Amino acid sequence: MSVRGHGQHEPGRPAFVGLLCAALLAISSAACTPTLIDKKDYSAFRASHPRSVLIVPVINRSVDVDAPDYFLSTISRVVAERGYYVYPVNMVRGLLDDDGLSEATLVHEGDPTRLAEIFGVDSILYITIERWDARYAVLSTTVTVEFSYLLKDGEKGNELWRAQELLVYQPNQTSNSGNPLADLVAQALVAAFTKALPNYIPLAQQANAAAVVRPYKGIPAGPYHGDYQQDQDRF
Amino acid sequence: MKVPTHAEVLPGAWLPLLLALSLLGACAPQTMYHWGKYERSLYSYYKHPDEIVRFEEALAGVITKGESLGKVPPGLYAEYGYILMQLGEDGQAVAYFEKEKLTWPESSGFMDRMIVAVRDQSSGGAQ
Repeated sequence: MSVRGHGQHEPGRPAFVGLLCAALLAISSAACTPTLIDKKDYSAFRASHPRSVLIVPVINRSVDVDAPDYFLSTISRVVAERGYYVYPVNMVRGLLDDDGLSEATLVHEGDPTRLAEIFGVDSILYITIERWDARYAVLSTTVTVEFSYLLKDGEKGNELWRAQELLVYQPNQTSNSGNPLADLVAQALVAAFTKALPNYIPLAQQANAAAVVRPYKGIPAGPYHGDYQQDQDRF
Repeated sequence: MKVPTHAEVLPGAWLPLLLALSLLGACAPQTMYHWGKYERSLYSYYKHPDEIVRFEEALAGVITKGESLGKVPPGLYAEYGYILMQLGEDGQAVAYFEKEKLTWPESSGFMDRMIVAVRDQSSGGAQ
């Protein structure tokens, strides 16, 4: 277990903290280099200024059938911490299921304004899992996740924000015990453990945090966040 | 915990700097809400859907702790109420939907619908 935990033990949190640091850093550096930053167009988002977000079941383009459910456990926190009222994901999933909308594609292709009306929500976040896989090799296993995010206005149905995030995890390639044979054994062990239990959750959390929080690309702060309507320089 | 491996999962040139910053503890890991075991228990519940009672207990724990800190996340009362509803505890479910509505005005329309649905279900079941 200690080998699998190696570098994977709760990496979501430090990375998230790192991203918050990025936000702070960006504030200080923005004044010096404003022309170098390619900011997204937030005019539609600002016009809509949603307070609440409905995260609907995700479309799965990976071969892992469990990925969409597991993913749902990784997304609420970052959006809520961004300052939005986030609808309870499991409850929403269950209710849609009861209504014969267990197929995420049906929900994604449906009319967002109707869905918004039913739930009384300001915006809907549609997420697609593009990749969620592990490529196995003897000495290293690569775990990859890729998601696309699309936020739509609940009233008009227009696009408010979109993002795409790809993250690759590769266990340590370079060990430095000073003993090449021991290093090789250690690498093989890490690869074997990653193969047995590829841990997608911290990766998914990091991808979500990057997509949502990153200055100039993420979602502007919501009404429960201290930066609400004070972050136009970054979003 | 071996932190340097984080760098490998994060793309972009600015990330090593962030890594250094998090190592220095430049930012305390502060969150607005207390999430506790919410994410982990939801994941486990999806892995073992028959263990709904365990999920219910985990949610109760997150709410109790969250209330003591005044940091219950949005959606948590409703999530808990929905599980209670599935367990047939309709009265309790309604109480938590009311709590969600009171805490988060954004949820009020949705919670009203749920409360009506639970009451319909209860009266239907009582016949």
